[in-house]
Amino acid sequence: MVEEKPLDFTKEITSRLGGETITHCYQCGTCASTCPVARTAEDRYNPRQIIRLALLGQREEVLKGDAIWLCASCYSCQERCPQKVEVTDVIYALRNMAIREGNIPAIYMEFAAGLLSEGRIVSISKFLEKKRADYGLPPLKPAGIEALKKILSATGFDKIMFKKEGTPK
Amino acid sequence: MTSYALFLGCTIPARQPHYELAARKALTKLGIELIDLEGMTCCAPPPLQSIDLETSLAIAAYNICLAEEADLNIVTLCTGCFESLAIANRLLKEKPQLREKVNKILANAGKEFKGAKEVRHYLQVLMNDVGLNSLKQNVVKPLDKLKVAAFSGCHLLRPSELLRFDDPERPRIFDTLIEALGAKSIPYKNKLRCCGGLLRGYADDIALAIARDKIVNAHNAGADCISTLCPFCFLTLDLGQMQIKTTYKEEYNMPIIHYAELLSLSLGVEPKELALDFHKVKLDKVLEKIG
Amino acid sequence: MEEVKVGVFLSDCGGQIAKILDFEALTNFVKAIPGVALVARGSEFWRGEGLKTIVDAVRTKKINRVVVAESVPKISEVAIVKAVEEAGLNPYLVEVINLKDHCAWPHKDTPQEATEKAKAMLLAAVEKAKLQEPIDKAEFPAVKSVLVIGGGLAGMQAAEDLADMGFQVYLIEKEPFLGGLAAKAVRFFPTDDCAICIQSPTTDLKTVAQTSRKCVYRSGFSEIPNLNVLTNAKVVKVEGGPGNFHVTVERKPRYVNEKKCVACDLCTSVCPVEVPDEYNAKLTKRKAIYINKPLVYPPAYAIDAKACKFHECAKCVEVCPTKAIELNQKPEQVTLNVGSIIVATGFREYDPSVIKEYHYGEYPDVITHLELARMLDAFGPTGGVPVKPSNLKPAKRIVFVQCVGSRDRRWNPYCSSICCMISLKHATMIKEAFPDADVTICYIDIRTTGREHEYYYERAREMGVKFVKGRPSEIIHDPATNTLVVEVEDELLRRLLELEADLVVLATAMVPSEDTKELAQILGLELDQDGFFKEYNAKLRPTETKRRGIFICGGAVFPKDAPTTSLHAHSAAIKAAKFLMNGKIVKDLKVAVVNQDYCGNCQFCPVTCPYGAITLEPKGDGHFAAKVSELICEGCGVCVGTCPVGAIELRHLKPSQITAQIKALLSVNGTSKPLVLAFSCSECGHAAVDSSGMAMMSYPANVRVLRVPCTGVIQVQHILEAFKAGAQGVMVIGCKPDGCHYEVGSQKAKQKVELAKALLGACGIEPERLEMFNLVFIEGDKFAEAAKTMTEKVERLGLLQLA
Repeated sequence: MVEEKPLDFTKEITSRLGGETITHCYQCGTCASTCPVARTAEDRYNPRQIIRLALLGQREEVLKGDAIWLCASCYSCQERCPQKVEVTDVIYALRNMAIREGNIPAIYMEFAAGLLSEGRIVSISKFLEKKRADYGLPPLKPAGIEALKKILSATGFDKIMFKKEGTPK
Repeated sequence: MTSYALFLGCTIPARQPHYELAARKALTKLGIELIDLEGMTCCAPPPLQSIDLETSLAIAAYNICLAEEADLNIVTLCTGCFESLAIANRLLKEKPQLREKVNKILANAGKEFKGAKEVRHYLQVLMNDVGLNSLKQNVVKPLDKLKVAAFSGCHLLRPSELLRFDDPERPRIFDTLIEALGAKSIPYKNKLRCCGGLLRGYADDIALAIARDKIVNAHNAGADCISTLCPFCFLTLDLGQMQIKTTYKEEYNMPIIHYAELLSLSLGVEPKELALDFHKVKLDKVLEKIG
Repeated sequence: MEEVKVGVFLSDCGGQIAKILDFEALTNFVKAIPGVALVARGSEFWRGEGLKTIVDAVRTKKINRVVVAESVPKISEVAIVKAVEEAGLNPYLVEVINLKDHCAWPHKDTPQEATEKAKAMLLAAVEKAKLQEPIDKAEFPAVKSVLVIGGGLAGMQAAEDLADMGFQVYLIEKEPFLGGLAAKAVRFFPTDDCAICIQSPTTDLKTVAQTSRKCVYRSGFSEIPNLNVLTNAKVVKVEGGPGNFHVTVERKPRYVNEKKCVACDLCTSVCPVEVPDEYNAKLTKRKAIYINKPLVYPPAYAIDAKACKFHECAKCVEVCPTKAIELNQKPEQVTLNVGSIIVATGFREYDPSVIKEYHYGEYPDVITHLELARMLDAFGPTGGVPVKPSNLKPAKRIVFVQCVGSRDRRWNPYCSSICCMISLKHATMIKEAFPDADVTICYIDIRTTGREHEYYYERAREMGVKFVKGRPSEIIHDPATNTLVVEVEDELLRRLLELEADLVVLATAMVPSEDTKELAQILGLELDQDGFFKEYNAKLRPTETKRRGIFICGGAVFPKDAPTTSLHAHSAAIKAAKFLMNGKIVKDLKVAVVNQDYCGNCQFCPVTCPYGAITLEPKGDGHFAAKVSELICEGCGVCVGTCPVGAIELRHLKPSQITAQIKALLSVNGTSKPLVLAFSCSECGHAAVDSSGMAMMSYPANVRVLRVPCTGVIQVQHILEAFKAGAQGVMVIGCKPDGCHYEVGSQKAKQKVELAKALLGACGIEPERLEMFNLVFIEGDKFAEAAKTMTEKVERLGLLQLA
C-alpha cells in the first residue's frame, strides 16, 4: 500500500504555502462532520481522510484522485479545527501540487485561460456590455492585463498551467 | 463624503449587473463615493488559489497596490473578492517574509505592497461609515412585511481569524442590517452552511444537492426570500432552482435577492430602475409585500 | 589572618592512575608551590587510613587548607568534608579534584601530556584553596506552623498530616464550606467509592476506631488538635520569609456564628429570598441562608451576602433558637505567623460557552460533568436521575462529548488527564441505575492510563456504553421535538452521524482555580504556560517552587485523580515538615554578598535572581543598594554574572579565585596543541566532563576545565581574561537552556557568550575561538567530541597574538 516514504510527501506539503499545518492533525474528524460536501456526498469526499492519506504518504491516490477537487472552499473545517489545521489551505496546496503534475480538471483550464487573455476569469460579452449601458452603468475600466501578464510570468503560472492536461480519476 | 475604490471583480460586472446597479444606487444615496480605478483585475478567488496560492496572493496584492496608489480604501460587493483581498491584505501586513516574497514578484509589474490601506465589504461601510441610525433614517419604504432568510455565504465570515468581520458562529451584522430596513431576519436550519456554489462546473450533482438543502430549509422556515451577498450564492440558488425543477421535479419559487437590491428598494428606488429581469425566480411576491 | 598552610593529598587509586601520571613528578611539583605545607600520596584518601591521614594533619594543625585529588566524585568529597569538619576545620576549606576522570583516563594515550595537565589542575586547586576563607553556618527561625490554602481533598490531607505531626496548621478555604470538588463529585474512579471519603487515618494508634478511612463528617476533622479551619478566607498579603512568614488573611463574614449554629434548618423555612443554587448546578433554588447538604464541614449555615436582605428582613434572626445569626458581622483580617505555606487551591471546569458550536449556556440540555454529577447524586436536586434541565423530564438518550476545550489550540492545548475516566464513571453510573438508558461517548482518544483504569473501560463496554470515535462538529437543537442532535463523524465506520440526544454532557477542560493569578502574584509564585502553579522540577523537586518554604500540591499543579492528589498532598506535607521540624533552619552561608559601596542600584540583580533572593534596601544616605537574603540565596552566582560593576561576589568563588584558577590552569601546557579553557557549571556541564572521563573517551590534554557553580556566574571579562592568560580557545559548558539547575543560568551565559563574541570580533579576534555547549551527563561523548573539534579549530586559526 505504501508507495513512498510518508515523510517525503509530508515534507513536500509542509514546505508549500498553505500546507504548513497539516502535521498538526490528530484525526478528530471535526472537519468531516462539519463539511457540507461530506454530508451530501459521503462516499466521494471526506477531508479528514484526505489528510490521513496524505500523512501516510499516499501521494498518487491523493494527487491523482477526484477527492481534492470536491472541496467547496467554505472554510467551515478550518474554522472549527481544534488543532488549527488550515484544512482548506492544505487542500489548495494539494491542488497546486496536483496541477503541477498535470492533473487539471477542465474547468480550471478555462479559468486560467480567461485570466491570461482578459485578466478576468469570467469574460464579458458584447450583449452584457450593451445591457450595462442601457441601465446606466459606467463602462468597465480596462483590466491591467499587461501588469498581470508580468506577474504571471514571474511566478511561472503560465508554465504551471500548460503541462499535459489530465482529467482526474 | 467618504470615498472608496470600488472593486467589482469578475462575476458581478460580467453576469450580475443587477447587483452592481443596486449597490451603486444605494451607496451613492447614502453618501458614499465609489471610484472606479483603472487596471483592476480578477481578485484571485478559490479557483485561482487552487492553481497557485502564491500567484493568487500576488494578484490580490497587485489590486491592493492600485488602491494604495490612489490613496483609497477598497470596498467590495462580492464576498469572494472580499475574502481574497482582505486575507491578502492581512497576511502581507503581518508576515514580513511573505511580504518580501510577494513584493519581489510585484516588482516585475512595477508595484510595491505597502500595507497602507484597508479592504472592506460594503456591509462594513454601511455599519461604520454610514451608520445604522443614518441608514434607518434614509429608509422610506420599510420592508416590515418581509421575512428574510439571511444568507451571507461563507467568505464573509470564514476564516474568521484572518477576516475578523463578525463572530463566525453567531454573526449579527448581516441580520442587523436586514432588520434596519424593517424586515425580519428569520432563523432557519443550517443558516451558516455553504451553498455549494464553487462545485459548479466540476461536480454539478453535489452542488445542486447542497443548494437544494438550502432552499428547502429556508422554505420550511417560512421565508419570503433568501437574501444573498455573493454572486455565486445568487447563481447557485436562483438559476439552481431551475435545475432543481428539472432534476428533482420540485418547485419552491423562493426568490433570491441581493441585499443591495433590498437596500435600494427600501431607500425608495423604483423596481423598474433595478434590472430585476436578471432574476430567474421572479420577485413578484416580494415586491407585493414591499408595497 | 593566620598563615595559610595547604595540605595536598594525591590518591593514585590503588596505583592504577600512577601507571599513567608520573606521581613522583606531581609530588615534587606540588611541594614547590608556595603555601603548601604537606604533600601525601596514597591509594585513596576518602576513607580508611587515607582519611585518617587528612584528619590527623588537620587536628594537629599542620594544615588549614585541604586539597585532595580523589577519584570517586561527590561521595569522596562528602566523606572528606564531613571528617574534616569533625576534626575542627571549616568544611569550605576543602577542595577535591578528580585526576582520574578528568586527566588520567581521557588522556591515557598521552601520559606525559596528562601529567603536565595534572600539574596545572593541582596548581589551580591549591591557589583556589589558598584564597578561600571559612564560610559559616547561620540559624534562621522556623516557626512550626503551616498555612494550607485550599480546603479540598489535597488541602485537607496535607493539613491533617501536619497537624498529626504536631505542627500548628491553619487551613483556609475561600468558600463557606470545605470539600472543594470532592463535595460535588459523588464518586471517585476507579473504585467508585464515595468522593467525600477523604479523611486518612491518623497515626494515633491508641484509638483503633480512628484507624480506618472516613467520610469527612464522620472523621472528627474539626477536633483534630493543632488544626484551625478558617472558611470564607483568602490570603491578601504575605510578608517575611521562609521559616517565618507573616500572612494576612481576610475573612468574609459568614453572618452565622459557627459555635452557636445547631443546623436545625428553621432559618431557611422563614427566609423569603430564593436564588438559583450554584452548588446544585442551578437546577434548584436555595435561600439566602443555606448549607450544602447533606454532609458538609463546618456544620453551620452561611448567608449569601449578595442575596440576603439583611436588616430589611432579619426573619431568620427572630427564629434562630440559639441566636447564632449575626447580621452585623464585618470582614476581618488576621495575620498568621507560619513557617511554611502549602498551596492546594485545586482546579475547576473550563466554561465551554466560548465554544459556540456546542451552544452551552444557550441550550439548557447541554451540561457539564459537574452539573451531571449533581443530578446523579441521590441527595442532589433530581434524586439521582439524569434529567433534561429544559423540562425536568428524565433523559433517556445521553451523549458525552470528550475534549471540550482540551487538546484544543484555540482554548487549552493540553490534555486534562481525567475527563475520559470521569465520562466512563458517569456513563457506568447511569447504566447501572438505568440499564435501558442509551449512552454514547464521542471521543478522539480514550485515555485510561492509571492503575485499574483499563478494567474500568472494559466494564463500561460490557455494560453497553457505546463509543463513537469522532469529535462532534456541532450540537443542534430541534425546537419541534425539543431534542438535541449531535453531528459527528464515526471515523471507524467512516460514516457521518446525527446522534439524537435528550442530554449532552460536555467533558470540559480542567483549568486552574479562579483566583490563581492573583494568589500567584501575592505569593510570588510562577505559573506555567497553561496557567497552573509551576513546580520547581516534577522529578527532582516535586511540590517545591522557586520560593523556599512555599509548596504546591494537588490539582493546583495540574489536574489529577483522587489517589494522585492524595499522594501529592502527603508529599507536600512531608516537605513542609522536613523544612520546619527542627524549629530552626540551619544554612551554610555559601551565598552571594553585596559590597554596598560599589552597588550602583542598577536593579539588574533583583530582577535576574531566579529565587527572588535580592531586595533593595536603603543605605541610609538616601540611596539604595542590593541586599542578598542569606536564607533564600542558593549560591548559583547568576547575580554575579549580571552585575556590571562587580559589586557582588560569591563567598565560595571570589573574583580572585577565578583569576587564580584561570592563570594556574593555563600556566603549564606540555602538549603541542594550543591551550583551551573550558568554564563548566557544577551540574549537567560538569557531569558531561565526568562521564566522558569515566567512559575513558579520549580528548586532548590541552583542554582544561574550570568549574563554577553555574555558568550564569560568568562575566564577559572572565572570557577575555582567559584569552589574555594564554587560552587560544574558550569553551563554556552548561546545562540545557530549559534544564538549568538554577533556572536561568545557562540562558544568561549564552547571552554573555554572544556579547563576548561580538567584542572579540570588534577586536579583530576570531569569534569562533569562543563557543558554548549545552550538555548533560549522558552526552559525555559530545563533550569529548567538542573538546577535540575546538582544539582542531583553534589549531587551524593559528596562534593568537595579543599585544
